[in-house]
Amino acid sequence: MQQFDIKKIAPISPIAHAQSNGTVKWDVVNGMKIAVEFASADIEQARKKVLGVTDVSCFERYGVKGPQASQYLADREIAIPANPNAWTLCDQKTLVLRLGSSEFLIEDQLGGLACKKLAGDTMRVAGVYKVPRADAAFILSGSEVLNLFSELCSLDLREKSLSAKDVIMTQVAGISATVLRQTIGGEQVYRVWCDGTYGPYMWDVLLEIAVELGGGAVGLARYQN
Amino acid sequence: MKLLTCPINGTRPLSEFIFGGEYREAPNQDSCTDAEWAAYVHNRSGAPGDKKEWWYHSPSGTWFIAERNTLTDKVSRTYLLGPNNTANIDINPVQEASK
Repeated sequence: MQQFDIKKIAPISPIAHAQSNGTVKWDVVNGMKIAVEFASADIEQARKKVLGVTDVSCFERYGVKGPQASQYLADREIAIPANPNAWTLCDQKTLVLRLGSSEFLIEDQLGGLACKKLAGDTMRVAGVYKVPRADAAFILSGSEVLNLFSELCSLDLREKSLSAKDVIMTQVAGISATVLRQTIGGEQVYRVWCDGTYGPYMWDVLLEIAVELGGGAVGLARYQN
Repeated sequence: MKLLTCPINGTRPLSEFIFGGEYREAPNQDSCTDAEWAAYVHNRSGAPGDKKEWWYHSPSGTWFIAERNTLTDKVSRTYLLGPNNTANIDINPVQEASK
Protein backbone atom coordinates (compact mmCIF):
# COMPACT_ATOMS: atom_id res chain seq x y z
CA MET A 1 0.00 0.00 0.00
CA GLN A 2 1.36 3.41 -0.98
CA GLN A 3 2.29 5.62 1.93
CA PHE A 4 1.86 9.39 1.73
CA ASP A 5 4.13 11.66 3.65
CA ILE A 6 2.07 14.79 4.25
CA LYS A 7 5.23 16.80 4.86
CA LYS A 8 6.27 16.16 1.26
CA ILE A 9 3.07 17.59 -0.19
CA ALA A 10 3.44 21.30 -0.95
CA PRO A 11 0.49 23.32 0.28
CA ILE A 12 -1.42 25.02 -2.48
CA SER A 13 -2.54 28.61 -2.56
CA PRO A 14 -5.96 29.06 -0.95
CA ILE A 15 -7.02 30.65 -4.24
CA ALA A 16 -5.83 27.79 -6.44
CA HIS A 17 -9.26 26.17 -6.75
CA ALA A 18 -10.56 29.29 -8.48
CA GLN A 19 -7.60 29.42 -10.85
CA SER A 20 -7.61 25.92 -12.22
CA ASN A 21 -9.49 26.85 -15.41
CA GLY A 22 -7.43 27.53 -18.50
CA THR A 23 -3.72 27.27 -19.01
CA VAL A 24 -2.08 28.23 -15.78
CA LYS A 25 1.59 27.68 -15.12
CA TRP A 26 2.26 26.65 -11.55
CA ASP A 27 5.37 26.78 -9.45
CA VAL A 28 6.27 26.27 -5.83
CA VAL A 29 7.30 29.51 -4.14
CA ASN A 30 8.11 29.58 -0.42
CA GLY A 31 6.85 26.02 -0.24
CA MET A 32 3.42 26.88 -1.67
CA LYS A 33 2.07 25.91 -5.09
CA ILE A 34 1.07 29.15 -6.75
CA ALA A 35 0.04 30.41 -10.19
CA VAL A 36 3.03 32.14 -11.77
CA GLU A 37 1.71 32.63 -15.29
CA PHE A 38 -1.74 32.94 -16.81
CA ALA A 39 -0.82 34.21 -20.27
CA SER A 40 2.18 35.34 -22.29
CA ALA A 41 4.44 38.00 -20.81
CA ASP A 42 3.18 40.64 -23.24
CA ILE A 43 -0.45 40.00 -22.39
CA GLU A 44 0.22 39.98 -18.67
CA GLN A 45 2.26 43.18 -18.86
CA ALA A 46 -0.61 44.85 -20.70
CA ARG A 47 -3.09 43.61 -18.06
CA LYS A 48 -0.81 44.80 -15.30
CA LYS A 49 -0.85 48.32 -16.66
CA VAL A 50 -4.64 48.43 -16.84
CA LEU A 51 -5.79 46.23 -13.98
CA GLY A 52 -3.79 43.21 -12.94
CA VAL A 53 -4.86 40.80 -10.21
CA THR A 54 -2.07 38.68 -8.76
CA ASP A 55 -2.24 35.95 -6.14
CA VAL A 56 0.60 36.43 -3.66
CA SER A 57 -0.69 34.15 -0.91
CA CYS A 58 2.67 32.39 -0.96
CA PHE A 59 4.49 35.31 0.63
CA GLU A 60 5.74 34.30 4.06
CA ARG A 61 3.64 35.76 6.87
CA TYR A 62 4.00 35.97 10.61
CA GLY A 63 1.39 37.26 13.04
CA VAL A 64 2.00 38.27 16.61
CA LYS A 65 -0.07 39.99 19.28
CA GLY A 66 -0.02 40.69 22.97
CA PRO A 67 1.02 43.45 25.38
CA GLN A 68 4.71 42.68 24.83
CA ALA A 69 4.48 42.19 21.06
CA SER A 70 6.02 45.59 20.23
CA GLN A 71 9.00 44.92 22.47
CA TYR A 72 9.32 41.38 21.13
CA LEU A 73 9.62 42.67 17.57
CA ALA A 74 11.88 45.56 18.51
CA ASP A 75 14.23 43.11 20.25
CA ARG A 76 14.42 41.19 17.00
CA GLU A 77 15.24 44.34 15.03
CA ILE A 78 11.92 44.52 13.25
CA ALA A 79 10.97 48.13 12.55
CA ILE A 80 7.40 48.74 13.68
CA PRO A 81 5.01 51.60 12.88
CA ALA A 82 4.46 54.02 15.72
CA ASN A 83 0.67 54.05 15.38
CA PRO A 84 -2.06 51.45 14.88
CA ASN A 85 -3.48 51.06 11.37
CA ALA A 86 -0.16 51.91 9.79
CA TRP A 87 2.59 50.00 8.03
CA THR A 88 6.27 50.32 7.40
CA LEU A 89 8.94 48.61 5.40
CA CYS A 90 11.66 46.76 7.28
CA ASP A 91 14.98 46.10 5.50
CA GLN A 92 13.27 47.04 2.20
CA LYS A 93 11.85 43.53 1.86
CA THR A 94 9.45 43.02 4.73
CA LEU A 95 6.10 44.70 5.29
CA VAL A 96 5.21 45.30 8.92
CA LEU A 97 1.53 46.09 9.45
CA ARG A 98 0.35 47.34 12.81
CA LEU A 99 -3.24 46.11 13.02
CA GLY A 100 -3.92 47.48 16.48
CA SER A 101 -2.04 48.79 19.48
CA SER A 102 -0.70 45.31 20.19
CA GLU A 103 -1.16 43.22 17.03
CA PHE A 104 1.13 42.94 14.03
CA LEU A 105 1.19 41.23 10.67
CA ILE A 106 4.61 40.80 9.11
CA GLU A 107 4.93 39.76 5.50
CA ASP A 108 8.12 39.06 3.61
CA GLN A 109 8.14 40.33 0.07
CA LEU A 110 10.10 38.34 -2.50
CA GLY A 111 13.56 37.90 -1.05
CA GLY A 112 12.61 38.85 2.50
CA LEU A 113 13.74 36.61 5.34
CA ALA A 114 12.33 38.17 8.49
CA CYS A 115 9.30 35.87 8.80
CA LYS A 116 11.32 32.70 8.48
CA LYS A 117 13.65 34.02 11.13
CA LEU A 118 10.78 34.91 13.46
CA ALA A 119 9.01 31.61 12.85
CA GLY A 120 12.19 29.77 13.73
CA ASP A 121 12.32 31.45 17.11
CA THR A 122 10.50 29.01 19.35
CA MET A 123 11.34 30.73 22.63
CA ARG A 124 8.15 31.51 24.54
CA VAL A 125 7.89 35.06 25.82
CA ALA A 126 5.31 36.22 28.35
CA GLY A 127 2.75 38.61 26.86
CA VAL A 128 3.51 37.57 23.28
CA TYR A 129 1.17 35.34 21.31
CA LYS A 130 1.77 34.06 17.82
CA VAL A 131 -1.16 34.41 15.44
CA PRO A 132 -1.31 31.72 12.75
CA ARG A 133 -1.98 33.36 9.39
CA ALA A 134 -3.86 31.69 6.55
CA ASP A 135 -4.48 34.67 4.32
CA ALA A 136 -5.39 34.95 0.72
CA ALA A 137 -3.27 37.85 -0.49
CA PHE A 138 -3.47 39.88 -3.66
CA ILE A 139 -1.64 42.57 -5.56
CA LEU A 140 -3.87 44.86 -7.58
CA SER A 141 -2.10 47.03 -10.11
CA GLY A 142 -2.87 49.37 -12.94
CA SER A 143 -4.64 52.54 -13.89
CA GLU A 144 -8.17 51.17 -13.31
CA VAL A 145 -7.63 49.84 -9.82
CA LEU A 146 -9.59 52.62 -8.12
CA ASN A 147 -12.54 51.97 -10.40
CA LEU A 148 -12.46 48.38 -9.22
CA PHE A 149 -12.45 49.45 -5.58
CA SER A 150 -15.30 51.86 -6.18
CA GLU A 151 -17.42 48.83 -7.05
CA LEU A 152 -16.37 46.73 -4.09
CA CYS A 153 -15.49 49.00 -1.20
CA SER A 154 -17.28 51.85 0.55
CA LEU A 155 -14.11 53.76 1.33
CA ASP A 156 -12.35 56.32 -0.77
CA LEU A 157 -8.90 54.85 -1.39
CA ARG A 158 -7.49 57.63 -3.51
CA GLU A 159 -4.17 59.11 -2.49
CA LYS A 160 -5.87 62.11 -0.92
CA SER A 161 -7.79 59.89 1.48
CA LEU A 162 -5.50 56.91 1.96
CA SER A 163 -2.09 58.19 2.92
CA ALA A 164 0.99 56.23 1.94
CA LYS A 165 1.49 54.48 5.27
CA ASP A 166 -2.14 53.80 6.20
CA VAL A 167 -3.52 50.32 6.75
CA ILE A 168 -7.27 50.08 6.20
CA MET A 169 -9.37 47.30 7.66
CA THR A 170 -12.71 47.35 5.91
CA GLN A 171 -15.00 45.20 3.83
CA VAL A 172 -14.19 44.47 0.22
CA ALA A 173 -16.89 42.65 -1.72
CA GLY A 174 -18.66 42.09 1.59
CA ILE A 175 -15.68 40.39 3.22
CA SER A 176 -13.45 41.68 5.97
CA ALA A 177 -10.18 42.64 4.36
CA THR A 178 -7.01 44.59 5.01
CA VAL A 179 -5.94 47.06 2.35
CA LEU A 180 -2.90 49.25 1.81
CA ARG A 181 -1.08 50.95 -1.01
CA GLN A 182 2.58 50.23 -1.63
CA THR A 183 5.14 50.68 -4.35
CA ILE A 184 6.64 47.64 -6.04
CA GLY A 185 9.33 48.17 -8.65
CA GLY A 186 8.46 51.84 -8.90
CA GLU A 187 4.83 51.03 -9.57
CA GLN A 188 2.06 51.96 -7.18
CA VAL A 189 -0.12 48.96 -6.34
CA TYR A 190 -2.79 48.07 -3.83
CA ARG A 191 -2.51 45.08 -1.53
CA VAL A 192 -5.49 43.14 -0.21
CA TRP A 193 -5.51 40.41 2.42
CA CYS A 194 -8.56 38.39 3.42
CA ASP A 195 -9.19 35.10 5.14
CA GLY A 196 -7.93 32.26 2.97
CA THR A 197 -11.28 30.49 2.92
CA TYR A 198 -12.75 33.49 1.09
CA GLY A 199 -9.82 33.53 -1.35
CA PRO A 200 -11.53 31.83 -4.31
CA TYR A 201 -14.60 34.05 -3.95
CA MET A 202 -12.46 37.17 -3.74
CA TRP A 203 -10.42 36.08 -6.76
CA ASP A 204 -13.57 35.49 -8.81
CA VAL A 205 -15.03 38.87 -7.89
CA LEU A 206 -11.79 40.79 -8.50
CA LEU A 207 -11.16 39.03 -11.76
CA GLU A 208 -14.67 39.52 -13.11
CA ILE A 209 -14.40 43.27 -12.61
CA ALA A 210 -10.80 43.37 -13.81
CA VAL A 211 -11.78 41.71 -17.09
CA GLU A 212 -14.69 44.12 -17.53
CA LEU A 213 -12.28 47.02 -17.09
CA GLY A 214 -9.75 45.65 -19.57
CA GLY A 215 -7.39 43.85 -17.22
CA GLY A 216 -7.08 40.31 -15.97
CA ALA A 217 -5.09 37.74 -14.07
CA VAL A 218 -1.37 38.31 -13.76
CA GLY A 219 0.99 35.60 -12.59
CA LEU A 220 3.48 36.00 -9.80
CA ALA A 221 6.31 35.70 -12.34
CA ARG A 222 5.66 39.29 -13.42
CA TYR A 223 6.80 40.41 -9.98
CA GLN A 224 9.63 37.90 -9.66
CA ASN A 225 11.66 39.48 -12.44
CA MET B 1 -25.95 55.05 3.80
CA LYS B 2 -25.76 55.01 7.57
CA LEU B 3 -22.38 55.61 9.08
CA LEU B 4 -20.90 54.84 12.47
CA THR B 5 -17.55 55.94 13.84
CA CYS B 6 -15.25 53.29 15.24
CA PRO B 7 -12.88 54.86 17.78
CA ILE B 8 -9.95 53.09 16.14
CA ASN B 9 -10.78 52.87 12.46
CA GLY B 10 -12.87 55.97 11.89
CA THR B 11 -16.20 56.49 10.20
CA ARG B 12 -17.43 53.46 8.29
CA PRO B 13 -20.67 52.17 6.79
CA LEU B 14 -22.99 50.58 9.32
CA SER B 15 -22.74 47.32 7.36
CA GLU B 16 -19.23 46.86 8.80
CA PHE B 17 -20.59 46.79 12.36
CA ILE B 18 -22.39 44.25 14.48
CA PHE B 19 -24.61 45.21 17.39
CA GLY B 20 -23.53 43.54 20.64
CA GLY B 21 -26.38 44.42 22.97
CA GLU B 22 -26.78 46.94 25.72
CA TYR B 23 -23.82 47.53 28.01
CA ARG B 24 -24.93 46.83 31.56
CA GLU B 25 -22.99 46.83 34.81
CA ALA B 26 -23.24 43.43 36.48
CA PRO B 27 -24.13 43.40 40.16
CA ASN B 28 -21.52 42.02 42.53
CA GLN B 29 -22.26 38.31 42.43
CA ASP B 30 -20.81 37.77 45.89
CA SER B 31 -23.02 40.27 47.61
CA CYS B 32 -26.15 40.70 45.47
CA THR B 33 -29.39 38.89 46.18
CA ASP B 34 -30.70 36.11 44.00
CA ALA B 35 -33.46 38.41 42.82
CA GLU B 36 -30.93 41.07 41.75
CA TRP B 37 -28.85 38.48 39.90
CA ALA B 38 -31.92 36.97 38.24
CA ALA B 39 -33.02 40.44 37.17
CA TYR B 40 -29.58 41.09 35.67
CA VAL B 41 -29.55 37.78 33.81
CA HIS B 42 -33.12 37.73 32.54
CA ASN B 43 -34.48 41.25 32.35
CA ARG B 44 -33.83 43.89 29.73
CA SER B 45 -35.14 47.40 29.51
CA GLY B 46 -36.84 47.96 26.19
CA ALA B 47 -37.75 51.55 26.98
CA PRO B 48 -36.35 53.92 24.34
CA GLY B 49 -33.80 56.48 25.41
CA ASP B 50 -30.07 57.04 25.81
CA LYS B 51 -28.30 53.69 26.05
CA LYS B 52 -24.74 52.51 26.21
CA GLU B 53 -24.31 49.71 23.69
CA TRP B 54 -21.63 47.28 22.60
CA TRP B 55 -20.75 47.53 18.92
CA TYR B 56 -18.20 45.48 16.98
CA HIS B 57 -16.23 46.61 13.95
CA SER B 58 -15.92 43.25 12.25
CA PRO B 59 -13.07 43.87 9.75
CA SER B 60 -10.71 44.90 12.54
CA GLY B 61 -12.20 42.97 15.46
CA THR B 62 -12.74 46.09 17.56
CA TRP B 63 -15.33 46.06 20.35
CA PHE B 64 -16.33 49.50 21.57
CA ILE B 65 -19.11 51.38 23.32
CA ALA B 66 -21.54 53.64 21.49
CA GLU B 67 -23.87 55.90 23.39
CA ARG B 68 -27.03 55.92 21.33
CA ASN B 69 -30.50 57.27 21.72
CA THR B 70 -32.65 54.33 20.72
CA LEU B 71 -35.63 56.55 20.00
CA THR B 72 -33.93 58.91 17.55
CA ASP B 73 -31.12 56.50 16.53
CA LYS B 74 -28.58 59.25 17.12
CA VAL B 75 -25.17 58.23 18.46
CA SER B 76 -23.64 60.88 20.72
CA ARG B 77 -20.20 59.31 21.11
CA THR B 78 -18.18 56.13 20.75
CA TYR B 79 -15.18 55.01 22.76
CA LEU B 80 -13.15 52.02 23.84
CA LEU B 81 -13.90 50.55 27.21
CA GLY B 82 -11.20 49.66 29.69
CA PRO B 83 -8.88 51.18 32.26
CA ASN B 84 -6.02 51.64 29.80
CA ASN B 85 -8.12 53.00 27.00
CA THR B 86 -7.99 56.72 26.83
CA ALA B 87 -9.76 57.03 23.53
CA ASN B 88 -12.97 58.72 24.50
CA ILE B 89 -13.94 60.37 21.32
CA ASP B 90 -16.86 62.63 20.74
CA ILE B 91 -17.93 61.99 17.25
CA ASN B 92 -20.38 62.88 14.61
CA PRO B 93 -22.53 59.88 15.18
CA VAL B 94 -24.75 57.95 12.84
CA GLN B 95 -25.12 60.18 9.85
CA GLU B 96 -27.30 59.99 6.85
CA ALA B 97 -25.45 60.35 3.59
CA SER B 98 -26.44 59.69 0.07
CA LYS B 99 -24.36 57.04 -1.57
